[in-house]
Amino acid sequence: MKPLAGVRIADFTLHAAGPFCTHILSQLGAECIKVESAARPDIFRKPHPVYGRMGPASFDQVASNKLSVRINLKDAKGIALAKKLVGVSDLVCESFRPGVMERLGLGYAALAALKPVVVMVSVSSSGQSGPDSHFAGYAPLFGAWGALGYLTGYEDGPPVEMRHVMDHSVGVNAAMAAVAAIYRLRQTGRGGHVDVSAREVACSLVGEALLFAAAGGEPARIGNDHLRMAPHGVFRTREEDRWLTIAVGTDDEWRRLARLIDAPHLLTDPRFQTRASRHMHRQVLHGEVEHWTMTREAGEAERKLQAAGIAAHVSCNMEDIAHDRHLRERGTVVDVEDTAGRERAALKAPIRFSKSEVGMTRGTPRLGEDEDYVFGELLGLSREDRDVLIDQQVIF
Amino acid sequence: MTDEAAAPPLAGAIAVEISRGVAAGHAGRLLSTLGAETVLVEPPEGNPLRREPPLLPPAHEASALFAFLAAGKKSVTCDLTSAAGQAGLSVLLTEADVLVHDLRPDERANLELDEPTLRARYPKLIDVSVLPFGAFGPKVDWRAEEINLIHASGEGFLLPNGLAAELFPERPPLKVYGHFAEYQGGVVAALGALSSLVSRVQGGAESVDVSIQDATLAVGAFALQRLGDGSLEHRRTRSFKYGGVLECADGYVELLTLEERQWRGLIELMERPDWMLDPALSDSLERSRRGPEINRAIRAWAREQRTADVVARAQALGVPMAKYASPAEVLSGPHEAARHLFQPVEIPGAGRLPVLSAPFHVDGAALPLRAGPPRLGEHQHLLSTRRHRERPAVAAEVS
Repeated sequence: MKPLAGVRIADFTLHAAGPFCTHILSQLGAECIKVESAARPDIFRKPHPVYGRMGPASFDQVASNKLSVRINLKDAKGIALAKKLVGVSDLVCESFRPGVMERLGLGYAALAALKPVVVMVSVSSSGQSGPDSHFAGYAPLFGAWGALGYLTGYEDGPPVEMRHVMDHSVGVNAAMAAVAAIYRLRQTGRGGHVDVSAREVACSLVGEALLFAAAGGEPARIGNDHLRMAPHGVFRTREEDRWLTIAVGTDDEWRRLARLIDAPHLLTDPRFQTRASRHMHRQVLHGEVEHWTMTREAGEAERKLQAAGIAAHVSCNMEDIAHDRHLRERGTVVDVEDTAGRERAALKAPIRFSKSEVGMTRGTPRLGEDEDYVFGELLGLSREDRDVLIDQQVIF
Repeated sequence: MTDEAAAPPLAGAIAVEISRGVAAGHAGRLLSTLGAETVLVEPPEGNPLRREPPLLPPAHEASALFAFLAAGKKSVTCDLTSAAGQAGLSVLLTEADVLVHDLRPDERANLELDEPTLRARYPKLIDVSVLPFGAFGPKVDWRAEEINLIHASGEGFLLPNGLAAELFPERPPLKVYGHFAEYQGGVVAALGALSSLVSRVQGGAESVDVSIQDATLAVGAFALQRLGDGSLEHRRTRSFKYGGVLECADGYVELLTLEERQWRGLIELMERPDWMLDPALSDSLERSRRGPEINRAIRAWAREQRTADVVARAQALGVPMAKYASPAEVLSGPHEAARHLFQPVEIPGAGRLPVLSAPFHVDGAALPLRAGPPRLGEHQHLLSTRRHRERPAVAAEVS
């Protein structure tokens, strides 16, 4: 049994952030019905030339485990059909630009009038209200608006673009807020509207820096430095483009590190006696650490540091991740068969319950694959009714 | 918020937090802001994050990190190694719906907070563990800080991309600012807690195990997807073919045109220079191939622009562009003000300051921050009094 078993989602989301929200919810047990139309394909089904991707981008990562139906939302009968679907759903998720659902007649007020106990989750770049609510945006813009991009970077370099992790962070926040609203629905019978702003999610990831700035501080790009810890950074190893991360927090860890890297003389160096002094002289210190890591293979150094109780990890690429024993044993990385029948690594939703199950039970649906169940069984449309709607390009 | 109908989603729920790190702290903070009464259990010397930089000027007494994470929570001090401390905690846990913590498995056993003991003593309590590598698996005992975790989850290796990678190709990969991975762990831990709260009605309470590595990897899912497509992503090759971070006369902006109409809008924004009207460039794949050439022209143009002006014109033309806003600019932003993203609360040792509420509205409004961070042990009375729980009225029987 999955924890959200019995929750049904009418999913109108597109692109990455919204679909990742409903993908996670579906792995937690919600029945997610993805509404699509051949007239308006998800951008994730199309080539992405800006990424240099000439073929269609696979969108398995956000579409798997969902059911698929076609509804043409440009047709009034399509809207009526969408409303029927909402009528049998607990949660409505959408990620259009603010105002689009209202124009379609599917805004929260209209749906709540139809079904007072509905929970609606809207995901947008800047939220449903405020002077910038109409702004268009993608992940790097969310990071830029929310100060996360400004603060990330080398000390002497430009800001850095946030990529898909930004979209997916928005999706996870949206999933979390959605379940909070579902909890209230189950407790009190009250529905509600959750309005997730992607740029505010970026802000929430630097909430402490924003508060520091509010008090008159000036948070700035600091590369891989830490405000307290030193040594702290990403170090070269003897392997090409194979990096090792090390973070030393306490005096005790520092002493163990100095001994491990055969540099006991550092322990008597006046520059490295206190945490504050080590932090002040961190560049020299990092040179000493790298002197050692440069002679080691990353994995070997990682194991030695961990054995000495020092926080260290190889900088993993996705090959490392796909074959990582720890991630495999936790069931985080699993093998799935994709739509072409090839086996590939995929991620299970990142929560382990002692009793409840979680995970994917099916792959990416073909467009309209689940209409017999959704339109036939759930909505009670006859085969003839559906054929008429197909002829009229309502189911399209 | 006296109107019962507008009660926040977790009104009436009680969470107890035993934390040292940012992830568990953020999970508790999310539950608190969503309306749960959240009690932070601190050792007698206080939560270590109370001393974590940056400290708030001018007094430099209060940690900005702790103040952000603890806003709205209550605080009790409890020496969990003493009988009195354990008895106090027991009072809290008897009433609580959720325990969020970052205790290692061996510590849990020593404190009699392991799963079988919790289930036996507090049958309706959901316990949520959030640890660097989770509560089981070969790396369960591994040490890790933020920088290790963001690289253990793959995103670290992929940063920076775009302009920074172009300018400094030989430098080590770069972490995201601050506590990105730990915050991910916090959001996922809150999601786990809430999912179990929903299922508790039918299935009873259970234990939830969240790994910060898993949570951060989840948001990096696309790179693993790309591996399955046959492509190993690398920070030097995943830049946008054109656009991205642009330096203007007075700061940086981000430009990203994914759709055809956005490219056409960009042509208008740049006032139709001849090179953009080359018919060959109406093909998106051709533009991708000629990315470096396009970028040189866009960058030269951008250096003449002022950020506020160019962003406003771009958005009016439907061209996705945003300024790389500094924290001060975000704090003073009219949009953020209109959405009440930051709410003034009293921070002991620093005065009244605006703190971020939550990155979403519920029922058409920002969630109210009920208070600033608590003083150490400010709510000690909670350890000794059994309280009558205030639950929202059940308006409908829900099967």
